[in-house]
Amino acid sequence: MFIEGRELTYKHNIPVTKVEKYWKGLEEGKIYGTECKNCGAKYSPPQADCSVCYSSDMEWIEISGEGEVVCMTEQYSFPAGFEFLNEPYVIAVAKFGDFKVIGWTKEKVFVGDKVVAETEKDETGVWKVYFKKV
Amino acid sequence: MRVGVIGVGCTKFGVLERTIQELAFEAVKEAVEDAGVSREDIDISVVGTSNTRGYELMPAVPINEYCGFAGKGPIRVEAACATGSAALYTAYSSIVSGMADIAIAIGVEKMTEVTTPTSLAVGGRSGSYLWEFHQYGTTFPGYYAMHASAHMAKYGTSPEQLAMVAVKNHKNAAKNPKAHFPKEITLEKAVASRYVAYPLKLFDCCPISDGASAVVLASENKIKELGKEAVWIEGIGFSSDTANVAKRGDYSGLKATVEASKMAYKMAGIEDPLKSLDVACLHDCFTIAEIMAYEDLGFCKKGEGGKFVEEGRSDFGGDIPVNTFGGLKAKGHPLGATGLAMIYEAVKQLREEAGELQVDLKNYKALTHNIGGTGHFGWVFILGV
Ligand SMILES: [Zn+2]
Repeated sequence: MFIEGRELTYKHNIPVTKVEKYWKGLEEGKIYGTECKNCGAKYSPPQADCSVCYSSDMEWIEISGEGEVVCMTEQYSFPAGFEFLNEPYVIAVAKFGDFKVIGWTKEKVFVGDKVVAETEKDETGVWKVYFKKV
Repeated sequence: MRVGVIGVGCTKFGVLERTIQELAFEAVKEAVEDAGVSREDIDISVVGTSNTRGYELMPAVPINEYCGFAGKGPIRVEAACATGSAALYTAYSSIVSGMADIAIAIGVEKMTEVTTPTSLAVGGRSGSYLWEFHQYGTTFPGYYAMHASAHMAKYGTSPEQLAMVAVKNHKNAAKNPKAHFPKEITLEKAVASRYVAYPLKLFDCCPISDGASAVVLASENKIKELGKEAVWIEGIGFSSDTANVAKRGDYSGLKATVEASKMAYKMAGIEDPLKSLDVACLHDCFTIAEIMAYEDLGFCKKGEGGKFVEEGRSDFGGDIPVNTFGGLKAKGHPLGATGLAMIYEAVKQLREEAGELQVDLKNYKALTHNIGGTGHFGWVFILGV
């Protein structure tokens, strides 16, 4: 026998103030990482603070050009929050020089494929990176 | 100071109509009875559960009370799918510190109280939510699928080799009544199953299971005083890696496994694992995980994991039988319980109490390898008698 528990909904307010440039950048078609001005450590996704030397003096670096897919998956099961999708979706990680970026793709890509990155808003209003095959 | 395992317990894994404390109770009762001590002799309890799916949000105290340990701890630990190993280390440390003579590590997880989409989301949110799940809907099968894509591209590992891990582990689970899926599967059926997260198919993935396990540890002095036989913890290694998948160096293996195993081998004085070990419990939440583990633990060269399973080297009669009780793949993977269920299996093997699934023992040494997330946590233990 089972009884139904009381419902509890979490909808978090996530503070992105220190990395606002990244989120604003997506709306302008730009993808940013950060580089520590003190030790040179590079971060993608960006960090406002350096985990290596503990400096908070960071420079924003635009990630652009041609990248290479280093791993990928096509998701056939939809997690809660992604019910709006009707078809399997591809998630890939691509390497652009010193930075790696995670993104969705409009077409199926495989490891080794050359891609460029664009940004777009999904049906739920969330901006993200999309890779397009070169 | 040496610390030994004197009692082990493990429930059946599966979809179980029990509360988290009722489930823990079954494993604790078996472990305490197996140890041959009384409940009152236990100085401290460690409760390991990730419990991101269960209704009891802070379950350590209800579990502790129900198992009769109110007043003795509890210390609650969480290390995703490696929670059980972190619980064991905490209990071990409490004895080594001199604060306890006898300690119990309890690992338990209730995963089936929510729907599969909720469970997938909880797993996917466990990497780095803001930068991954929020934008891209990453899932736990998806993270391992990314590693599989890299391994297959780099080394030519085939879908059939992945499926061979599942076939082997199901064959072992068929003889383990405590397994979630105690039945054999064919290679054809596994290869033909639907995709969950390309390139991983349904039969490449562990089930969503409830379960509990418990391990009673004691100091060497206490073990002598009680006149008991123990299985000794001879090596411990731990490591971890980045939360963000985009910050990893490589996707064809888990650095946390490499680092943790080096530490454990050094502590146990092991130079060649295949020569020293009789049996191993590896973290096969997905088939690719077992293949990467063969390589990262030094059972074979990097890239040869597919061949290792194909040649039967990880099967009974091979170089080292792996996941003799069915592995996470077929026995089940209740997150908090998994690491201690591996200790249960290793202890049963080393005591020659594994029945039909007993391996031949030469060195009387076993290894357990427990990963949290995709190498977000890595633990290796060497046990011996
Ligand atoms: Zn720095």
